[in-house]
Amino acid sequence: MKERVIAVSENTSRDKTSLVGVLCEPETLDKKKPAVLILNSGIMHRIGTCRLSVKLSRALAESGIASVRFDYSGVGDSDPRRGGMSFLESAPLETVEVMDYIQKHRGINKFILYGLCSGADAAYETALVDKRVIGICQIDGYCYRTLGWYINHYLPRSCKLDVWLRYFKRKLSDSSHKSIDDIDPEYIERASYIREFPPKLEITNGLQQLVDDKVAMYCLFTDGQSSLINDASQFKKSFRKVNFGKYLTVDYMPEAEHIITEPDCQKDVVKRIVNWVLLCSS
Amino acid sequence: MKAFFFGESKAALYGVYHPAGGQVQRDYGVVLCYPFGQEYMRSHRAFRQIATQLSKKGFHVLRFDYRGTGDSSGNMEDMLASNCLEDIDTAIEELKSMTDLKAVSLMGLRMGAIFASASANRREDIKKLAVWDPMLSGEDCENELLLEINKDDVEPWNFMDDEETLHFNGFPLTKAFRSSLKEIDIVSQLPEVEQLLQVVSHETASFDRLKNTWGNTKAELTYVYSESPSDWNYVDDFGGILLPQPVIQTLVSWFANEGDV
Repeated sequence: MKERVIAVSENTSRDKTSLVGVLCEPETLDKKKPAVLILNSGIMHRIGTCRLSVKLSRALAESGIASVRFDYSGVGDSDPRRGGMSFLESAPLETVEVMDYIQKHRGINKFILYGLCSGADAAYETALVDKRVIGICQIDGYCYRTLGWYINHYLPRSCKLDVWLRYFKRKLSDSSHKSIDDIDPEYIERASYIREFPPKLEITNGLQQLVDDKVAMYCLFTDGQSSLINDASQFKKSFRKVNFGKYLTVDYMPEAEHIITEPDCQKDVVKRIVNWVLLCSS
Repeated sequence: MKAFFFGESKAALYGVYHPAGGQVQRDYGVVLCYPFGQEYMRSHRAFRQIATQLSKKGFHVLRFDYRGTGDSSGNMEDMLASNCLEDIDTAIEELKSMTDLKAVSLMGLRMGAIFASASANRREDIKKLAVWDPMLSGEDCENELLLEINKDDVEPWNFMDDEETLHFNGFPLTKAFRSSLKEIDIVSQLPEVEQLLQVVSHETASFDRLKNTWGNTKAELTYVYSESPSDWNYVDDFGGILLPQPVIQTLVSWFANEGDV
């Protein structure tokens, strides 16, 4: 495995600001295989929550897959850029820039995009606009409740005393940590991207477009998204109009927290993603 | 700003070099020592700002990831505290060779303060040392973590496993790492520097202990209390980043010998 720093400059700007990333490659690079781009989650820099992005990129390299973990402009080590674009406008453009760079310097023209939370949203948006994307891997991406969710969620809970006790304890407790909104802006950086799920119809159409473009999708959901999804089959059911065919894989890991803090879950998630990427690559 | 890997290829370290700008030429560079785990994630932005501002004041600055952390090579499970000190040595030598400077200063936050101070105890080319919300020793760190994982409402991912690796907010601290860290105590192992800055976001008995000890050394001590959020280990779904501007300004001004600091 080899790692090197890359600085991807904007082609069109006079400002020549760079996106900083780490290209992680296997000892022998097979240019026919796709490269994986690992996207930021919120304002966390590119090593990912609990260093998950570093572990993932190195595991991919051990399996013969190149990857780039990089920072969007204004995040981590990348320069901020001028302009009033929103995250969902700038992220696909910057992801495309990194794909251009890898294509130019490594001759790879197929890509898989991985992202957690806002990174998942950016992966989806980019796949809609760039045909080089052959797969997207999303942790806690867009999803929508179904009738099954309400049944799974409320029916078992309504009979359990400890659930009610926890509910009342939460209501009565005074959290020792201030909510992000309570902290003076002089002491904290807030994410400029406030995650709001688009209307379901918009995502339905987008997913159908991805299927039509033969983009493989791996959607992994954690307990962090359990307020919206609580069963692996729910995702497909919530998009009944989309004919996913062989292009969709869904996993639900209720044992994992949103930022995959649990050590065993971190290993499991990396293993699942690498296996899926290898399947996509073949 | 230049990001690059340096050091031995087997233990390559990721660093970001901020070259000196501005009108004033400084006779020493600054190496920044990150804290660990979630605290590293939460403070990365602040470190970038400190580095950027110091470079504008004429300092050559290097911030870097210890092996097993960030983008540097290796796994945290294989680390020892002595490796972190070696990595600081490597970073100092790298900055000196890049800039032809003969001396450097160090700044460390939390566990990074332990390593920065220990490094200033071992080396003779450290001019100034700044510590921010410092942990005082490996023992101090261990006690703090044990207190956290023994709380009634402890999160399930914070625990000690069968091999006595302490998992905290998704980052592992092995028994070997913690044992090696216990060999460091910055109150008894005094830094050999000309000037010291201790900046704290809240007041504790251990901060007072350090202030009293450092106040009785040959070095000139500046102590600044700058009240600001100090929950460095707090985890939220938004990657909540602490960016306490008054503390950042205190650190930059102190290195640059500006203002009242």
